[in-house]
Amino acid sequence: MASVTYKNVFKKFGDLTIIKDLDFQVEDKEFLVLVGPSGCGKTTALRLLAGLEEITEGLITIGDRVVNDIAPKDRDIAMVFQSYALYPHLSVYDNMAFGLKLRKTPKGEIKRRVTEAAEILGITELLQRKPRQLSGGQRQRVAVGRAIVREPKVFLFDEPLSNLDAKLRVQMRAEISKLHQRLQTTFIYVTHDQTEAMTMATRIAVINKGILQQLDTPQVLYDRPSNLFVAGFIGSPSMNFFPAKLSKDGDGIIVDTVDFKVKIPSKHAEPYKSLGGKEIIFGIRPENIHDPEFAPPNIQGEKIAAKVDVTELMGNETLLYLVSGKNTFVGRVDPRSKFHVNDSVQVVFDMDKFHIFDRGTEEVIR
Amino acid sequence: MIRDKDRILNLILISPSILAVLIFIYAFIGWSIRVSLSKWKGLTPDYTWNGLNNFTELFADPRFAVDVRNTLIFTGVFVAGSLLLGFFLAVMLDQGLRGEGFFRSLFLFPMAISYIVTGVVWRWLMNPAMGTRLSGLNLLFSYIGLDSLASAWHTTPRWGMAAIALAAIWQMSGYTMALYLAGLRAIPQELKEAAQIDGASELQIYRHIMLPLLAPVTLSALIILGHMSLKVFDLIVAIAGKQLELDVPAIYMWQATFDGLFYGRGAAIGILLLISVAALIIPYIRFTLKTEAQQ
Amino acid sequence: MKGLRIGKNWLYLPLIGMAVFYLLPMYVILVTGFKSFGEIDLKTMWNLPRGIALDNYIEAYSKLAPSLWNSFSMVIPAAIISSFLGSLNGFILAKWKFRGADFIFPFILFGMFIPYQSILIPLVQFMKAVGITGLAGLAMAHIIYGIPITTLTFRNYYASLPQELLEAAKIDGADMLGIYRYILLPISLPSFVVVLIWQFTSAWNDFLFAVVLTGNTDWPITVALNNMAGRGIISWNVQMAGSLLAALPTLLVYIFLGRYFLRGLLAGSLKG
Repeated sequence: MASVTYKNVFKKFGDLTIIKDLDFQVEDKEFLVLVGPSGCGKTTALRLLAGLEEITEGLITIGDRVVNDIAPKDRDIAMVFQSYALYPHLSVYDNMAFGLKLRKTPKGEIKRRVTEAAEILGITELLQRKPRQLSGGQRQRVAVGRAIVREPKVFLFDEPLSNLDAKLRVQMRAEISKLHQRLQTTFIYVTHDQTEAMTMATRIAVINKGILQQLDTPQVLYDRPSNLFVAGFIGSPSMNFFPAKLSKDGDGIIVDTVDFKVKIPSKHAEPYKSLGGKEIIFGIRPENIHDPEFAPPNIQGEKIAAKVDVTELMGNETLLYLVSGKNTFVGRVDPRSKFHVNDSVQVVFDMDKFHIFDRGTEEVIR
Repeated sequence: MIRDKDRILNLILISPSILAVLIFIYAFIGWSIRVSLSKWKGLTPDYTWNGLNNFTELFADPRFAVDVRNTLIFTGVFVAGSLLLGFFLAVMLDQGLRGEGFFRSLFLFPMAISYIVTGVVWRWLMNPAMGTRLSGLNLLFSYIGLDSLASAWHTTPRWGMAAIALAAIWQMSGYTMALYLAGLRAIPQELKEAAQIDGASELQIYRHIMLPLLAPVTLSALIILGHMSLKVFDLIVAIAGKQLELDVPAIYMWQATFDGLFYGRGAAIGILLLISVAALIIPYIRFTLKTEAQQ
Repeated sequence: MKGLRIGKNWLYLPLIGMAVFYLLPMYVILVTGFKSFGEIDLKTMWNLPRGIALDNYIEAYSKLAPSLWNSFSMVIPAAIISSFLGSLNGFILAKWKFRGADFIFPFILFGMFIPYQSILIPLVQFMKAVGITGLAGLAMAHIIYGIPITTLTFRNYYASLPQELLEAAKIDGADMLGIYRYILLPISLPSFVVVLIWQFTSAWNDFLFAVVLTGNTDWPITVALNNMAGRGIISWNVQMAGSLLAALPTLLVYIFLGRYFLRGLLAGSLKG
């Protein structure tokens, strides 16, 4: 049981800064997901914690112990690797037992822990097999099993599901979540897949270019992204962005994209009142764009003229790829919508659910 | 820091090997260079400075001229023969015929044998005797009515080295075959299929697709075979003993040093051999390591 | 598809032709070896023997037996030690890149290609000076001059293993030696076979080092065979039998472990 703290952590390779001033705390028993595009430094952040990379600057603590100079084996962590990294010459049993044997754990104890972990993961009948005789999903379980038997303070996962097919990934996602509830231990999990992050995490840390962008619960991250990057990264399809200018219109504030104008409802307008003429980016998620015929009642709607470029029927919803002047954007509308390709239509923006970002700093304005 | 202990252990474990390589290769090369610049002739070492005299003498030495000529003939015949034969065999084995494994093993087994054994056997196969004492390959030719093929083999004036190269081709062409076969197998099947669909004939596929893609293999083979021919020694000794007509630098080095006790000259020949091998191999190592680093 | 197959069958013609070329020397060795002294005549060298006689082998063996055992006693430890050193070096160079590792490697590699004539004089002088002579000196030479190729082969193999494997072992609690002992060494057993075979073959077949470092009591087989053949006293049929005896150990290795032998060959061209 332990919390993990990154304190002003930097990682540099020569002139290249991979991690820049990472500073946050992971609470005990939390399931923290580090998410970001590939090459953003999230894996490096995890490897620093594991002790596989040396920290250039700053401190990392596990519990109340600074681990900067402690060897990986003495950090009381276990790690599941992207490629699983199973020892090809050892049986499943021996793969799981290896770490315990090196720690001179008594034979009986090793046996108890391996059997128990195998039962949790449903791989009891595979214990005598070699890794090459296992399917991808089974290897994945063994890799998790190898971590479980160690009974570590912190579990580290480095994109563990990225080599599995889509169906298995969904299944393993649920199993890892269940495992977290069962083990009641700190999990730190790296992925580039925002769906994985949203479904599993108690909190998500979004990282880009080695910098922590936002650390919050999935819901807050989704509803109140603190900058343009987080807004675009979380959610699928991504949020629509329109370069625009704020302008005053009597008492109200208007977002002017050149191609269309929308009025900010007065109850949300307060933060923008003094910003007339400011260059901004206006953001709205696809699900907050509606076909007027099926728009929910009582929303603060603004009608926009657009042309339908492509429609994708998903069954439970329809994705509309729309064009308005220079802007292209996506609406996620009711499947009963009768919009067709090349129709000139009117769509409704739900103006209770918009986001405005400073075009210079890309930070949210609210 | 964390890995200091391992770092020191690494150095301790690898240093005996590095030390051995440093002494037995680099220090010895330096030592050889020193001997090549000395007057040492006779049983007792004599490091009296002799400048480049051993080298200039060699360049004026008709025997060394013969050596260079012989090496060129051997290299030309051996490298060209092994490459062509090896490529030909590899292409045939690449056709997915039954018995491929058998033929592959057959073409490769001479590699497992020493040059000495090859030489002893080929000496009898290339018996140059004519008339009633006809034997070896010449006898075989007369059996099948191809008497005109009968040859003086390695006793042919000036071109005797070509016969020695034939024995070397017998021994080494399996190696080039293996290199080419591995290269051919590494070319994705889809490329062949794409060319087929583009309308290329089997022959055109090899000419326009495979051969260019195999250029790196050819280069490797060329360099490895080339540097082998510069060093050839055992094979010639076993086929022909140490005759002047079939002399090469390695044999001259041997005789100058251990029979003639002219250490200075022997070392000079050794150094010249080293320089020619290095000219071939150093660019190759650099190129290979660079491409490896890029991957 | 069927038409294609028939169309390819003509390829057997050149293949069989080449097979004959490769087998001719072996044919001569074999048939000559089994002929009795009575039927030895160069003029009938291509004829099959009338019966199976072992005279030639017995005589060849009686002459070569000591040097055969010399070869074994020198080659086996040399092959084992240089393979082991190569694996250790390869492990360190591939996975524990210390400062300068990339600088050192090409220098080790170059040692694989040098003409030994360029170090022969110092080698003989050095061995004499430190008093390591005969088979021990020869074994030592094979070990040291074998280091470049064994190191290369193992380095390429270990470099192909994912780094995550070592990291997993590190987190499991293994230190550097533990990783080598428990993970890489067992995984690389097939590579060991490759390298051992390669070292065995090249040390067994070596002539140059053998002839400078050994005297007539401790000649290995290649030198003994060459001297037996070169003197002209021993008849050619015995030479043929002797050749087979000299080639037999490596041929057997080749026949039974040919797969590994091939891999060793390819490793020698720098890129595995």
